[in-house]
Amino acid sequence: MQTITESDPSGGSRGHRRVLGLVKVAAVLAAAALITAACGSSSPSATKKSSNKNASASTTTTTSAAASTTTSTTATTAKPATATVKAATATTTTAKPATPTNAAASTPGGSLSTGLTSTPSAALTGIGSSSIVPFYGKALYEYHAANSAVTVNYSGSGSGPGVTAIEQNTASFGQSETPMTAAQLAASKGPVLQVPVDLGGVSLSYHLSGVAGGLKLNGPVLAQIYLRQITTWNDPAIAALNPGVNLPNENIIPVFRTDTSGPGYDVDQYLIDTSTAWTSAIGTTSPSTTWPTAGRASGDTGEDLNAGVATYIQETEGAIGYVEYSYALQANFTNAAVANPAGAYVTPSVGTIANAGAQAASLSATNFNIINAAGAQAYPLANFSWALVYQKQASTNTGIVLGKLFQWIITTAQGYSSGLGYAPLPANAVAVAHQTLLGLETSSGSPIFTN
Amino acid sequence: MTLTSEPSTHDPSELLSPASVERRRDVVRQASRSSLRRRRLLGNATRAVCYVALCIALVPLAALVGYTVDRGVQGLSWGFFTQVPAPYGVPGGGIANAIVGTLIIVGLAAVMAIPVGLAVALFLVERRGRVAAAIRFVADVMSGIPSIAIGIYAYALIVVPLGPSGYAGITGSFALAVLMVPIIVRADEVAMRAVPDDLWDAALALGARRSRVARSVVLRNALPGIVTGNLLGVARAVGETAPLLFTIFGSQFLETNPFKPMQAMPLTIYTDGTQADAHLQSVAWATALVLLVFVLVLSIGARTIASYATRHAR
Amino acid sequence: MVHSVGIVTSGGPGAESEAGTRPAGSTSFERRGHVAALIAHRHRRPGGRVYTALRWGGVLIFVAVVVSLVVSLVWQAAPAFRHSGFSFIFSGTWDPDTEKFGAGVFIVDTLLTTGLGLLMAIPVGIATAVALSEFLPRRLAGPLSTAIDLLAAVPSIVVGLWALLILVPVFERDVEPFLQKIPLVRHLFTGEDLGTGILLASVVLAVMMLPTMVALTRVALRGVSVADREAALALGGTQWQVVRRAVIPGARSGIEAAITLAMGRALGEAIAVSLVIGGGVSLPHSLLDTGTTLGSAVVNFFSESSGIQRSAVIGLVVVLLAFTAVANIGGQLLIRPRRSRGYERAEPEEVAPTGEGAPA
Repeated sequence: MQTITESDPSGGSRGHRRVLGLVKVAAVLAAAALITAACGSSSPSATKKSSNKNASASTTTTTSAAASTTTSTTATTAKPATATVKAATATTTTAKPATPTNAAASTPGGSLSTGLTSTPSAALTGIGSSSIVPFYGKALYEYHAANSAVTVNYSGSGSGPGVTAIEQNTASFGQSETPMTAAQLAASKGPVLQVPVDLGGVSLSYHLSGVAGGLKLNGPVLAQIYLRQITTWNDPAIAALNPGVNLPNENIIPVFRTDTSGPGYDVDQYLIDTSTAWTSAIGTTSPSTTWPTAGRASGDTGEDLNAGVATYIQETEGAIGYVEYSYALQANFTNAAVANPAGAYVTPSVGTIANAGAQAASLSATNFNIINAAGAQAYPLANFSWALVYQKQASTNTGIVLGKLFQWIITTAQGYSSGLGYAPLPANAVAVAHQTLLGLETSSGSPIFTN
Repeated sequence: MTLTSEPSTHDPSELLSPASVERRRDVVRQASRSSLRRRRLLGNATRAVCYVALCIALVPLAALVGYTVDRGVQGLSWGFFTQVPAPYGVPGGGIANAIVGTLIIVGLAAVMAIPVGLAVALFLVERRGRVAAAIRFVADVMSGIPSIAIGIYAYALIVVPLGPSGYAGITGSFALAVLMVPIIVRADEVAMRAVPDDLWDAALALGARRSRVARSVVLRNALPGIVTGNLLGVARAVGETAPLLFTIFGSQFLETNPFKPMQAMPLTIYTDGTQADAHLQSVAWATALVLLVFVLVLSIGARTIASYATRHAR
Repeated sequence: MVHSVGIVTSGGPGAESEAGTRPAGSTSFERRGHVAALIAHRHRRPGGRVYTALRWGGVLIFVAVVVSLVVSLVWQAAPAFRHSGFSFIFSGTWDPDTEKFGAGVFIVDTLLTTGLGLLMAIPVGIATAVALSEFLPRRLAGPLSTAIDLLAAVPSIVVGLWALLILVPVFERDVEPFLQKIPLVRHLFTGEDLGTGILLASVVLAVMMLPTMVALTRVALRGVSVADREAALALGGTQWQVVRRAVIPGARSGIEAAITLAMGRALGEAIAVSLVIGGGVSLPHSLLDTGTTLGSAVVNFFSESSGIQRSAVIGLVVVLLAFTAVANIGGQLLIRPRRSRGYERAEPEEVAPTGEGAPA
């Protein structure tokens, strides 16, 4: 098997052969490098790379149209931070007294160097909860319309992928309906700031033609439905809660989330709080973002993401499942009236969700549970949604953009909430969020914003 | 039908007597007639079964295309092709970002895959032996690899080391190129092998370099087949979703920079089609229709070129 | 595709017809290269070097990508294999919380859905191919077979969308209750009517396998030599008998190849299946149960997994690769031996560019 050149009897081609050989060797080396890169990057232990290595990678990619920004934020101008024009209308933070060394900005967004008159340009990626997709879709669209230099793409692939993305630093920010656990924080590449950015509720939507919305359900009955102990809609237990409602003799098809989910966590927490049958069936009193599926007869079906559950409910007579209220609103679902601790049966709405959120007196990433919140008209299945960003931002530019973005989200963008089925953040939540955002630091540890 | 009525004598003249022949002929005629009837009946029954099977096979085709056209057409409009998606709850909007994204991503994938595919095909045609056989075998097996595996490979190779900036249109192009190369290699090799040996021999005998032979003789004659193969590879890549799931990230904005996250049509179908929102579902159907038309045009184009080449073959 | 009837590979019997001395074992092409080199007196072929380098470059890129794909996936999956050992394949428990990873349920569901899909696609596919190539007049058969071939080009996401939005309600309302009423058979279809489930996933796979089956079977049937057909006719066979006795047995290896290649495609299908299979993680007791195949498990679990769980998910990919590789290699081996037989047959590569649709 010889090539023409190599079969050449004359010796004059030796030089050419050498060059050819070098080319082949170079190609083999390149191939070996490719393989090594693939192995090296992909071995799981290699995912715990030092944050510096990733830092250098992300620094080179974020484009900055602004002049070089100083990492120190001791600007001497008294000009308010101009990029917070929109935030000026809805700020709820207390104005700090202006000092000569800090830019007097009663609106958060920080003081930046004088050369900066607009938000630097950046392309950010966010991964996380699907529950916030309607809100983020609108908010990020409007933010881009107002700040054309900033493009934020959000992928609502689930709270689980959001947390994983932050752990592995494959996204600019993550989003999760439940804050990260200690183990997840330990697995991350540095301290993570968790910022509450919206307040949503989980509706128990059902598809029963002929039955209006507001079917009353309480914890024990709901637990029995999901445990497949109640299998038809006209079961006495349901009828007892709903006298006068004509319940059809149809099979109940409970729908659960197959992936990690905030709504699943909320319903799990609610059932743990209200039903001993549930806790004894699943064998634990701590809720999980993974829906417990063990130990019951088949007949329920699992779907992926809020959209999957919603589509299934929409298509299937007799189905009941838990979805973010915004989805139920969009799809015009009939929602159950869920029993709350005050004994009232409350349907999800912006008002009842807001009532639940108002109960979060001392909200923080470790004290976030408002399931079964007190209050006569508080919806018992509400939760805050948490944005996850690294405290130390490798690229100061990215840090500035992230900070300003979330500042805008917790203030101006809350105006879009009620139209989409979320309640605006209560004042204390905004304060917590703002304080958390002030924790953003450059890679050398100095804070990016002052107030 | 036994012939026990035949005389047991072995006298040939006896067997050849007209009566005996007539008797045998009768037996055979009767046997064949009833057998023919039975065989014809079975034949007709089988034919009916096959026709029924044909109808069964056509039903999903008709249903698929029918529903896609029916529901997709409702969502089409001029704005559909020129606008980006509207935010949640706002009607209108379109898939301009997905169309542009698909064109850029698949275009880059073709730029990556076609030269490599051509090179490997030329290699396979010009070389014999274990190496070439092994590579051909690998290419054949690779053409059947699940595309989800390719997507995960691209994710591990590019997104994990690069972090957030690894999500880009070009990462998806790389994954699609990996998918396309085996298809292109097989098709190109077949097309080149179809060039008669005489042409190769004549060119080489005239002293042409192999590159010259490849350029002038092989490519020129095999060009229709090569173009067909490339078009089929592109048609396949246009419709793939799994390689894009973990690589291009998706975007609601129009993005023309392949180093940033982009949208593509299969991704739009996947995310919008699974929503319980009527407007988004209609967007998904309309996108599916556009994608279907795209793929069909490419496939039909490939077939047309192939049959044109066959008809005008040397 | 232009194909001369006869052997197309270089170095086949056609080359032997040349007389003269030649080095043993060399092919027609390299032989001619020798001759050309000797005649041309040209030793320097600068263009040839660039060309050869480019050619080698392309080959090496291709090989590097293939090798790095396999190596990187196996490398990433290795921790999970070490962690679980053989129970990775055989155990039916997939529980990330306790770090028990067993692919047993996924493997069973994959084989079940693919097997059921084949059960539906094979008879319909072969019968359709027979109808198209043997029974129908040419005028009808041409457009119809083109239509079915184009069905192969439909992207699987479109099939998945159609199955999710159209078939799920139909199955849940009509098909499944109907199946539960048929005596005897209904014991296979116990349980709730959910719409989604193993049955619907199998139907979707069958729809996607059907065009491949029909196209490859048609090629196999066309490849049966004229001599065989005429012999059967001469023996007095009816058209059906010719088909059944002479054509189908003659095409058997081609049909087997079609089956294995269709099976390979079905095994790798992830997106469309994940939309309609319902996501159950326990062993199915009925065909109406929900399940998870290897492909749909990867789609569902990959994004949110990290650490040892991600390694386990990639282990699922490796298992899936192994299955599809076996199916593909089987199909290739079944196709290849036909080349070496001297019959006048249509070239098997003819089917390569029919453009199978996208198993996403």
